[in-house]
Amino acid sequence: MFDFDATLPLMALQFLLLTFLLNAVFFKPVSKTIDERDGYIRTTKASSAEYLESAEKLAKQYQQELASSRKQAQQLIADAQAEAQETVDKQVAEAQMEAQQRREQVQKELDQQKQEAMQSLEGQVDVLSQQILDKLLGAQAA
Amino acid sequence: MLSLLHFDVLPLAELEVGRHFYWHLGGLQLHGQVFMTSWFVIGLLLIASVLATRNMQRVPQGLQNFMEYVFEFVRDIAKNQLGEKEYRPWLPFVGTLFLFIFVSNWSGALLPWHVIEIPEGELAAPTGDINTTVALALLTSLAYFYAGFKKRGLGYFAKYIEPTPILLPIAILEDFTKPLSLSFRLFGNILADELVVAVLVLLVPLFVPLPVMMLGLFTSAIQALVFATLAAAYIHEALEGHGDEGHEEHA
Repeated sequence: MFDFDATLPLMALQFLLLTFLLNAVFFKPVSKTIDERDGYIRTTKASSAEYLESAEKLAKQYQQELASSRKQAQQLIADAQAEAQETVDKQVAEAQMEAQQRREQVQKELDQQKQEAMQSLEGQVDVLSQQILDKLLGAQAA
Repeated sequence: MLSLLHFDVLPLAELEVGRHFYWHLGGLQLHGQVFMTSWFVIGLLLIASVLATRNMQRVPQGLQNFMEYVFEFVRDIAKNQLGEKEYRPWLPFVGTLFLFIFVSNWSGALLPWHVIEIPEGELAAPTGDINTTVALALLTSLAYFYAGFKKRGLGYFAKYIEPTPILLPIAILEDFTKPLSLSFRLFGNILADELVVAVLVLLVPLFVPLPVMMLGLFTSAIQALVFATLAAAYIHEALEGHGDEGHEEHA
């Protein structure tokens, strides 16, 4: 069981050889790959964080723009409504004024006609009353 | 009872300890079966690594995903022991320790090595041979000495007398007990597990050894983790030194 011979040093040499070979074909390439992957993941993570940040910034900006344009739209609507109201008011006032004017005119005409009619009636009243008087008194006088 | 031993004619229930398939290489004696299985393990690791890293994707799939999981597992072992700053240069050593021991142990526990006939001895986990574990443990010792000298030069020796020179013998003794305990822990666990399974198979060939085999899988994984973790801890200790660490903690 405990017979030492040249197996020992040769095995040691063989093992050292295996160490160098495995270092060349296993440890170095695998650690290189893993390091590269770590680096790739790190840079990707950093750049994705950057992207996220810029995306958030953009979203914020868009939100602000959206809010401002919404405010603008509301302002526009309010303006338009105010303008329309003003127009309506003006037109209503105009119409009312026109109606008033017409009414006044018509009233005036009516008054005039009434007066004319009254005047002519008054004239006729005089004539008629004269005629009545003549008729009543005429026979006596005659 | 003797009649039970007749079971050892079954190919799966042979028990051979201390017999090796010797290779002779210019006057040197080698345990052939250890090298055969260790080459299998090494081949498996290299093929899996090459296949996984041949065409690396940013989004991992299939084998690459699995091997990245393995990488992160061994990286966490090294990182937990050595700290974020120091672990990089020691990751290949600690990681290879874990992977080699783990795959060796599990190949011994999962693959029916014994079915393959070799002239003498039997194929088993490479970590079940004392030569392998001592080799790994001595490499760990060299690694932490190297780490200490590289970081602090000759000041590394200061750690032997740092809290108090009275502990010098114990500090020196530690340098021997560390590889000894590392190697014998691994060797003992793997060999004992193999022997327990083999003996149980010898007695009851079916079903009964299964729980022990499951336990073997568990201990094999734990031993790989323990070896790698301790190696990383020793290297960390050499890098930090007893004294420095104490001051930092009190500060």
